[in-house]
Amino acid sequence: MDPIELNERGMKVAKKLGVDDAVLQSVSGTEHMVRFANDSLSVAKRTDESVVSVYLAKDGKRIVGGSTNTSDERLADFIGRLYKTMVNLSKEAVFVPLPSTRRRFDSPGTFDKKLGALEEEVPELAADAIEAAREAGARRSAGSLEASVATSHILTSNGTSGHGTSSNIELNIRSFTDRNASGHGLSCSASLRDFKPVEAGRRAGSHAKRMLNSKKPEAGKYDLLLSPTVAANLISLVGGFASAYSVEAGLSYLVDKMGKKVASENFNLTDHGRAPGCLEATSFDDEGMPTQSTKIIEDGVVKSYLHNLTTAKKFKTETTGNAGLIDPDCWNLEVGAGDSGYEEMVKEMKHGIVLTSNWYTRFTNYRTGEFSTVPRDGTYLVENGRVTKPLSGLRISDSLERIFSSVKLLSKEREWIQWWEVDTPTLTPWVLVEGVDVTRAYGSSA
Amino acid sequence: MIGENYKDLAAFSVREAGKLGASYAEARIQGSVGSGFLLKNGEPQPSMLGDSFGMGIRVICGGALAFGATNNLEKAAVRALTTKTVRMAKGSAPLVKKKVRLEDSPAVHLKVVAPEKEKIEGADAAWLKALLLDMDRKIQAGKGAKIPNRILIASSELDEKYYINSDGSEVESRIPRISFFGILTAIEGGEVAQRMIQQAETGGLEVVKRLGLVSKVVEEARILRQVIAKASKLRPGVMDVILSPELSGIAAHESVGHPQEADRVLGREGAQAGESYLKKSSLGFMVGSKEANISDDPTLIHSNGYAPVDDEGVKATKRMLITAGRVTEFLQNRSTAAELKARNNGSARSTDFNREPIIRMSNTFVEPGDYTTEELVKEVKDGLYFKSFTEWNIDDKRLNQRYVGLEAYRIKNGEVGEMVKAPVLEITTPALWGSVKGRSKRLEFEAAVCGKGDPMQGIPVWTGGPDTLLGHVRIGTR
Repeated sequence: MDPIELNERGMKVAKKLGVDDAVLQSVSGTEHMVRFANDSLSVAKRTDESVVSVYLAKDGKRIVGGSTNTSDERLADFIGRLYKTMVNLSKEAVFVPLPSTRRRFDSPGTFDKKLGALEEEVPELAADAIEAAREAGARRSAGSLEASVATSHILTSNGTSGHGTSSNIELNIRSFTDRNASGHGLSCSASLRDFKPVEAGRRAGSHAKRMLNSKKPEAGKYDLLLSPTVAANLISLVGGFASAYSVEAGLSYLVDKMGKKVASENFNLTDHGRAPGCLEATSFDDEGMPTQSTKIIEDGVVKSYLHNLTTAKKFKTETTGNAGLIDPDCWNLEVGAGDSGYEEMVKEMKHGIVLTSNWYTRFTNYRTGEFSTVPRDGTYLVENGRVTKPLSGLRISDSLERIFSSVKLLSKEREWIQWWEVDTPTLTPWVLVEGVDVTRAYGSSA
Repeated sequence: MIGENYKDLAAFSVREAGKLGASYAEARIQGSVGSGFLLKNGEPQPSMLGDSFGMGIRVICGGALAFGATNNLEKAAVRALTTKTVRMAKGSAPLVKKKVRLEDSPAVHLKVVAPEKEKIEGADAAWLKALLLDMDRKIQAGKGAKIPNRILIASSELDEKYYINSDGSEVESRIPRISFFGILTAIEGGEVAQRMIQQAETGGLEVVKRLGLVSKVVEEARILRQVIAKASKLRPGVMDVILSPELSGIAAHESVGHPQEADRVLGREGAQAGESYLKKSSLGFMVGSKEANISDDPTLIHSNGYAPVDDEGVKATKRMLITAGRVTEFLQNRSTAAELKARNNGSARSTDFNREPIIRMSNTFVEPGDYTTEELVKEVKDGLYFKSFTEWNIDDKRLNQRYVGLEAYRIKNGEVGEMVKAPVLEITTPALWGSVKGRSKRLEFEAAVCGKGDPMQGIPVWTGGPDTLLGHVRIGTR
């Protein structure tokens, strides 16, 4: 369904109901995915979907909704229900009307139309990755490869409009040589040109081979060398904690930290709405405001939270173009590069661990940022600057503030990461962190 | 319920797929309407409404499985989707080394309507708001440490489906659900404690009363204040531990339910949610003491994971996952049951029309025992009563897990004593279930949303159990 037509239909209904403000935002796209396991394709998937998001405001009251039920009658009915629900609620404590300035937005221009016509190639690209993993030493591999294109359009009651086209391709491959020996590789890109399935497969297979005969480490403090995949998992969480909504809700360790040091001086974190190379670039946010680049942490100091119009008013500042109609969120995160190479970083570690993948990061307390996460796949002990043996069965248990305040080195080389454990596309280097708590479970294995 | 015109459309898609050469086809029309209300630190936030409706189909051609979904339910669009999905299956067949086969579950013709006394449609934004404002007032009225940060979210949802397959099954369902999620943060004198609360049941407006939702949340606020005021540091060591129903439930879900999902055992989730420490040959394998008895039951009335018929049109049954310490059953769908030559217990579930059905838990719990809670406590000379948790995680083979406590008490000479701060149980799965010495009679459940699949599917479940006594386990602190 055409997003422009959906928005125009929806706006007509909203205006007829007499709203003060309305935003209609529709996204229409196609997604192809294959999943594989044990080197065999397990399912091929295709989704053709249109989603419309609706924001209405009247007399200081607001409501939001989302629908895939987009026939003429059902969309009109949905907007009618939204309106009826809204007028029966009370006024908001802080209400910000949409600005009267009418804007027009063009697509940020990161679209690769080839990704829209990849239906037949998707299984073959997955097969290339599986074969590369096998050649690098994998006995078997599992994973998924997804290619998608989408068109989005926004229309506000003040006449602002904009459109965007986006494309994305993402491979996640995990190889095994033994039940306890696995390696992970991924490649994600907005264009086919930068997509590297063979390299990802090779990486997964190579780690799987190196992980044979891994041992549990002793619990204690270790220096950790975080691969871009691991760093991105933690950094994307920091990005979420920078949302002014999370700060106001008390669900962030960045509460009361504006202008204060929360990381090492060499650590810089920026959110980009539409910078070149971003995987999910957009010219406009969900309120029809222009996106921008926002420095969240500069030289280790908190410079800005991420805002929409409402949180900006509450914090007496300007929106950063990160709406989220209720909760501002990051678009694409970038950690500044360092000047170290991987080998040099390993040499710096006396008693450390190299981590290449992790999962299941959970918090004891969002307010303090205390958490633990479980490393998996390629994990290696470093003794006196040398990688000595593979490790498994460990857990990282620390706090985000302490970890990012102990960053010793960052690599020159950076990588875009987006996968099952990292929702927000994140460009990050390898990160060397000093003195992190590592624990392990006690008891026998099966 | 789903309209006749849409049912015809689903049947049309199944017929079309057959004509195009699919050896198997199924179609599912699924719609979900929901309302949500959020109170942030006492301040009402904009209400949220959702309306999802569309169709998902699966076909098998030459042993290759394909899934297609659309929310454009015009006949031409459904025909196009069916054609493309069959083409996708045929095109991917050369890369399928292990052909997908389905076991011969008997065809069913069923209408599933979850019991509902007061219609879910009454749980609109105004009703949800009134519920949360009342709850928030009562939380704030409590004495002790301040709870300045209170996120309270209540939602109602009605999920309706029509399912048909080429093997003759036809299922219609209507599942209403009320859910609550809250995060309370208590702060005093530099100390911060946080509690996440999740409660949900299938049913109508009566769920709130049946759960005793408001008083439950207010009680959690009282305990949180006590954690700030009274909890003292614990000396790590080896001790007997009683896990509350909340802890028994999360441990059963994470380290029994997940590793006994047959698709994980067979490697299908290897790159995302992971595999399992168990193998195909692990049935009968001893992973716990004689007291370790863990089940999953999708037929429990009012439960959050109520799914008496699965999304492959198979009647679901209770699964005895671990019986007297032995692995007795995996969670199965039609293809894993065929591959493992096992009984299909109907575990395939899908969260929405645009997601393929995959093997999921429903309501996973430690079976109750014969003791009263008091009798279990009396058994403990020097130990810990572990009542609620905050942080938790487990590795992707489901072998190394960790639970960090929030509400926990020392037990001395059979008496519950002082409150202690942040005990940590970090233990392997065989060590955990191998140390079970006894279980209480009381069986209680908590609600959860379980994540799995790619794209991710968060599915409603219950986790539960009785008080479970573990003998001589190592407890650390955070």
